[in-house]
Amino acid sequence: MITALELLEILAALGYSWARMSMSLLLSILFSLCVGILAGVNRLAEKIIIPILDILQSIPILSFFPLALYIFISVHPIIGPEIAAIFLIFTSQVWNIAFGVYEAIKLLPHEILEAARSLGLGPLRRLRDLYIPAAFPKIAANIPASWANGLYFLVACEIITIGESKWKLFGIGTISTEFMLSGKIPQFWISLIAVVAAVIFMNLALFIPLMRLSERYKFEAYAAEVPRVWIERATKPIGELFGRIFADKGLPGGEPVSRFLSYLASIIKRNKVIVSALAIAALISSSAYYLNSIDVSDYLEVVISGFGRLGLIDPLLMIGFSLLRVVSAIIIGLAWVIPVSILIYERRRLEKILVPTFQVLASLPATLLIPLIVKLVLDAKLPLETGAITLILLGTQWYLFFFISSAMRSIPREEEEVCKLFRIRGFKKFRHLYLPRILPSLVMGCLVAMGGGWNTLVVAERIVLDHFIWQVENPGIGKALSEAVTSGDLGLLVAATIWMVGFIAVLNKLFWRRLYQKATEIVGVVT
Amino acid sequence: MKTAANSAEKMREHLLELREVSFSYVMRGGEKLQVFDKLSLSVSYAEFLGIAGPSGCGKSTLLRIMAGLLKPESGEVLFRGKPLKEPTPRISMMFQSPALFPWYTVLENVMLALIHEKELSREEKEERVKVFLDMVGLMGFETAYPAELSGGMRQRVALARALVAQPDLLLMDEPFSNLDPLTAISLRREIETLWRNQSLPPSSVVMVSHDIEELVELSDRIIVLTKRPVKIAGIIEIEMERPRSRRSKEFYEYVDEVYTLLS
Repeated sequence: MITALELLEILAALGYSWARMSMSLLLSILFSLCVGILAGVNRLAEKIIIPILDILQSIPILSFFPLALYIFISVHPIIGPEIAAIFLIFTSQVWNIAFGVYEAIKLLPHEILEAARSLGLGPLRRLRDLYIPAAFPKIAANIPASWANGLYFLVACEIITIGESKWKLFGIGTISTEFMLSGKIPQFWISLIAVVAAVIFMNLALFIPLMRLSERYKFEAYAAEVPRVWIERATKPIGELFGRIFADKGLPGGEPVSRFLSYLASIIKRNKVIVSALAIAALISSSAYYLNSIDVSDYLEVVISGFGRLGLIDPLLMIGFSLLRVVSAIIIGLAWVIPVSILIYERRRLEKILVPTFQVLASLPATLLIPLIVKLVLDAKLPLETGAITLILLGTQWYLFFFISSAMRSIPREEEEVCKLFRIRGFKKFRHLYLPRILPSLVMGCLVAMGGGWNTLVVAERIVLDHFIWQVENPGIGKALSEAVTSGDLGLLVAATIWMVGFIAVLNKLFWRRLYQKATEIVGVVT
Repeated sequence: MKTAANSAEKMREHLLELREVSFSYVMRGGEKLQVFDKLSLSVSYAEFLGIAGPSGCGKSTLLRIMAGLLKPESGEVLFRGKPLKEPTPRISMMFQSPALFPWYTVLENVMLALIHEKELSREEKEERVKVFLDMVGLMGFETAYPAELSGGMRQRVALARALVAQPDLLLMDEPFSNLDPLTAISLRREIETLWRNQSLPPSSVVMVSHDIEELVELSDRIIVLTKRPVKIAGIIEIEMERPRSRRSKEFYEYVDEVYTLLS
């Protein structure tokens, strides 16, 4: 039976994990505002920032965890792992928020921008009165997904084995894994239920009120109402509190951020070459400083040998198989997300039930369910690939849902009424109205989901639960990365990561960017 | 030109009739906002009906009920004597904004209204669309995108789209409110001409507007509504020669009459 002490332990662990998550979420929002607005406003910044974000969001978190851990521990041996964990959760939460902010700024109506210009709003005022409020709905809409994604990797971040050394941070991920492995099944379930309860509480108390609050920051004449749930009464005071903070005083911290940003922007604008040269020099010298402690030439040798051992055909084969898995997961995701989003748009009543349900579901960490999924797949004697694709799907589908359903909700009422007047229904309505309207968000959603998919590969293609190892039979880049992490093979790890990141960069450049360009061209200037 | 006898005879028949229609919105707080409580009114054949009322009283909602876009909670909407269950191509609507699809050209936007005309070939549809584009003065703009047009031109596309399926009834929700006065004048003239020409659609027009002079200039009859729940404050029949001059004394007497009912 479960003891009171264990219950307390679970609660304390939850508190620790939640503190990590909240810290990195705040960091993510601040970072997204800076970077997203800069990219949305400044052409030059856009050209630099967006490709970098594309690449960064596609780097598998767990593969650079050892590197990050190494660097942060060299900064401070005790708080280093803690910072490393926050940093890694941050890298799993930030990208969709940053892209959301960028998109919100890019899609600002021309009239509004011109009005701001004609009102003579300076960069600072524009930031406070226009850009941040305009980005607010996208941030609010992306927080649940980010939280879910952070939880997904929290479990993996708190406990990590590299070769012989093992780091453990006290938290819900560690504790639930320990319960599972020591056969304390009721305790495992209780900690799982505690996570679910905490996630539901976060949604009701914070995420949903925030989303409701953000409604009035939208530009559509017919702003879609955020569905009300039965706990409306319970959450109202919190929502109102936020309302007061946001409405009366503007966004807290908005002003210093804006001042810093406009200062930064003006510097970069004036000294493009010098600033970029300085940035690159700083990056190289700082990494050289940390790498010095393990001797640069050794390090290079290790990495080169890693590339040598990987060869040329194997990595391509691994990436090919992994790509297949990610693409199938996205297709499966789209197959339910698009019809459900349309259904929600057309039946307002469903929205009130389905959207909060999905928000809660989306916030549940799929990684905590890994043991369960493995068991189900093994019991049902399904091909192991289905397990891997299920795990990728769990890590990607909510991006698709939130991107597409929020695009659906911002379709002007009148356009839908035109379809009704001319009795344009079914597939025709999809072709003439829904598809063009959601196209940019569809592409963006797929891009972000794919990034998320690459990230989940490390846990999806090869699962290590202490002695129990479960992996796909066919090659996979995630499997290779996971193997390199467990064996502590730094060279192989870096080489495989570079292969993967390189491939993702090429894919983004040759495929996604062009597709997004096309999509926005088709939709034209949205009036 | 319609003869007086002809139109008087047709006036007696109702093209569209609202019988004791009730409608309410559920507000954010959860309370019900009664917009209409057993409201009855009718639109006759060949009539130009103006609707005026204080802002926010539910004029747009009323038009959407007439179009079949919204279902009344109780009461009936009869179109040519039969219950109106859903939108029909016989009733078309122009919104305050043109509501064009930005990803389609002018031609494609107007073609959307003919999507169910299965017996027409694509070429025939294009021909017909071109006739209507010509009618609203947009010949030569078929391949332009809405974003490349001015506000007045966009509203003309919306007009062509509303008319191309040759409806009996055209509903207009403040169609000129977003236009500059000169464009509004010429578009008003065009709509009046189209409506008066019996061989061309539409037979009847219902127009909601804040602009009382505009209503007096165009309407046969003006229904003035009250605040919520909406009742009919009064109906004014306007018997003036067309085209009407805005400078005549008679014109201003009608305008004053509407204002009196509104306040």
